[in-house]
Amino acid sequence: MEENKKTKFGKFHDNYYKLSLLISILLFITSIVYIGYFYNQTGDFLIKDISLTGGTSVTIPKALDPIKLTNDLQSKLDSVSIHEISDLTTGQQIGTIIQTKSDSDVTRSVLESYLGYKLTTDNSSFEFTGASLSSSFYEQLILAVLVAFLLMSIVIFILFRSFVPSSAVVISAAADILMTLAVVDFLKIEMSSAGIVAFLMLIGYSVDTDILLTNRVLKRAGNINDKIWSSFKTGITMTLTALVSVLVSLFIVKSTSIVLTQIFTVLTIGLLFDIFNTWVTNVSLLKWYVIKKEGGESRMENPKGVHNG
Amino acid sequence: MAKLGWKIWLLIIVVIFSLIAIFGIPPKFLESGVVINSVEKNSTVFNQGLRQGQIITEINGNKIESLDDFSDIVNKTFVGNDPVKVDIQTDEGEFVLFLSQPPEITVSNIPSTNLKTGLDLSGGARALVQGENHTLTTQETSDLVSILENRFNTFGISDVRISPVSDLSNNHFILIEIAGATPSDLNDLISQQGNFEAKIGNDTVFIGGKKDITSVARSGQEAGITSCSQDASGVYYCNFQFALYLSPVAAERQGALTQNLSVVPGDSSGNYLSQPLDLYLDGQLVDSLRISQDLRGRVTTQISITGSGSGTTNEEAIKAAQANMNKLQTILITGSLPFKLQVAKLDTISPTLGSDFVKSILFAGFFSLIGVAIVVGIRYKKINEVIVLLITVVSEIIIILGVAALISWNLDLLGIAGILATIGTGIDQQIIILDESRKYHEISVKERLRRAFVIIIGAYFTALVSLLPLLWAGAGLLKGFAVTTLIGITIGILITRPAFTDMVKSIEE
Repeated sequence: MEENKKTKFGKFHDNYYKLSLLISILLFITSIVYIGYFYNQTGDFLIKDISLTGGTSVTIPKALDPIKLTNDLQSKLDSVSIHEISDLTTGQQIGTIIQTKSDSDVTRSVLESYLGYKLTTDNSSFEFTGASLSSSFYEQLILAVLVAFLLMSIVIFILFRSFVPSSAVVISAAADILMTLAVVDFLKIEMSSAGIVAFLMLIGYSVDTDILLTNRVLKRAGNINDKIWSSFKTGITMTLTALVSVLVSLFIVKSTSIVLTQIFTVLTIGLLFDIFNTWVTNVSLLKWYVIKKEGGESRMENPKGVHNG
Repeated sequence: MAKLGWKIWLLIIVVIFSLIAIFGIPPKFLESGVVINSVEKNSTVFNQGLRQGQIITEINGNKIESLDDFSDIVNKTFVGNDPVKVDIQTDEGEFVLFLSQPPEITVSNIPSTNLKTGLDLSGGARALVQGENHTLTTQETSDLVSILENRFNTFGISDVRISPVSDLSNNHFILIEIAGATPSDLNDLISQQGNFEAKIGNDTVFIGGKKDITSVARSGQEAGITSCSQDASGVYYCNFQFALYLSPVAAERQGALTQNLSVVPGDSSGNYLSQPLDLYLDGQLVDSLRISQDLRGRVTTQISITGSGSGTTNEEAIKAAQANMNKLQTILITGSLPFKLQVAKLDTISPTLGSDFVKSILFAGFFSLIGVAIVVGIRYKKINEVIVLLITVVSEIIIILGVAALISWNLDLLGIAGILATIGTGIDQQIIILDESRKYHEISVKERLRRAFVIIIGAYFTALVSLLPLLWAGAGLLKGFAVTTLIGITIGILITRPAFTDMVKSIEE
């Protein structure tokens, strides 16, 4: 049964792997076009929250009606947005987060007169980031992601010492990041510094399966389809466990922490794209390369070793 | 039972050491008493040897098991103003003191572990300060750090950490972190340059700092709230007054400057000189003190400084006045900052919210593990594999926390996200090992596992280098994530993965 499944998969894959690369290219281009469009519309690659634009975030352990609060504060504070914090087990609202671009002194006095009591460290948390610091934060985080990506690419090239397979890994990782960014933009998810850190985590997560695949295909003997199939079985288990733990965590932290919610949301989207980019984009590029190389060599030396199904 | 290899023994030993690092010996949760968080410098208790970190177990023969016990006994002991004998039993010996007021210490319950949580979980304040219209150099930053430290200590905040930080663009900042309760006027304390000038007309008599001021009265007869009143709109005002002592040079300057002033008729309390002593703070007039006529031309070293505070209740007004007095005294004693500073980031986090975070994180961790166990169980259909994998994951968490406790690392929200990330990649690598060991039966188990390690090491190095930029980006505020993840994946590659490989080997063989 297993053998049968394998050869069936091999045949199917041999016929369509080049074609499936078209889907990858299409998705890749769509993402880049969308991000470009988004940049054109908004002036940036993503929607930044107040930790990256500058402003104040206030957490009050008290259930306040978000709609009423938004209406009441809109005229007094600059770009107000309200989030709820709810209890994990009962789901009841237990706190309110108020985010605004106004500075902390203004926010404090507006809220104090609205609520009718003094806000101290016992009954509230204030987080203020100045505009100039947050814009430098943003630039540096983007730089950090780029440098991380570059360093990762160097390690990949050292690891495999072969141009096309290494490029395939790097391209898949880049596709993961760009496609995730496009979806994050499309869903209009606001990003904080933590959200950008999640993109860094994505680099680490996404290359794991690519390394596994490339290593098995390049450094081991055997039929290429068998190697891809066995890597897929291992790799998909890896991504699925990661996805399950990220989804479970996302579901739980959603009610309490904006920071962790952003991280887990980015990771969920990224891992889903990683399944596609590892097992379609990377596999197709790698298979094409191996068949072409082995085909070329085998014609001269070893006709028996042709792996074309 | 198969013989355990040395890699498994290593894992067991490291886990035991980690548990010791986390809980201490004897385990901290078994200890009773309260721990001293801070001791007022130069107070009686300080001079007798009471220090931060000591654990108080008994006061006057009464067992202290919690914070409530402590405050009960302190309240019962200090009723009047007469000195009382206080016998404090601590883990570092017995202290017998005669005190007329409660000891100037802050205490808290003994934490149950050695783990330290970051500001976003335990509450406190964090400020990132930079020069206003001035890029600070390394030297200037370190000078400012010591001036600010002095300022905070003089103000009475001892549980503060001030450190210079820089970011990827080589900007220098000063990071100020205060654990626990935060003073409401933290912003002023940090960013106020504190240029204090006392002037008669346009001539400076003295300025804040050691050069002109020899000492400032902080308590007792010479400093305190003098009067309180309520105005027509219902707002309460309280006045404070304290004495300060000028250096001989400054006193002579004052004498010379008052010499030429004329006397103008005053009220019932006497006549005054024609010009007052104007007090300026950062260029703003904060008070004008009338100078009584008998001070004309006299070299006096003692001067009374006054000021006020307001509030909606009498008690609030007293507190505000006391706070303002303390702030002014602090500035007079420590002098001004060499630069105008601006607060680039200021977070004050309430300690009450942190426990909710911790709860949801523990939930998230627990249920993700169950989720992972289910996926792995379905895939391998063998309970042994699942158990071995879970044992490894749990030991990895214990070791990461052990290292964090050992190096006193502050675990913040991002750091915990880092631990979750590590566990994720750790499980991934264990799946690689499991799969490699189950397939390729034509080669030896040892060779199979060696192959798995080649892949894992590749994954390790890519993760390692992609975290490095984060150590510096954003003035190090995201370091928590990078550091915990680096610790986690390094432990993985050195200890837990090899042990897991051995466990798998013994299952396979």
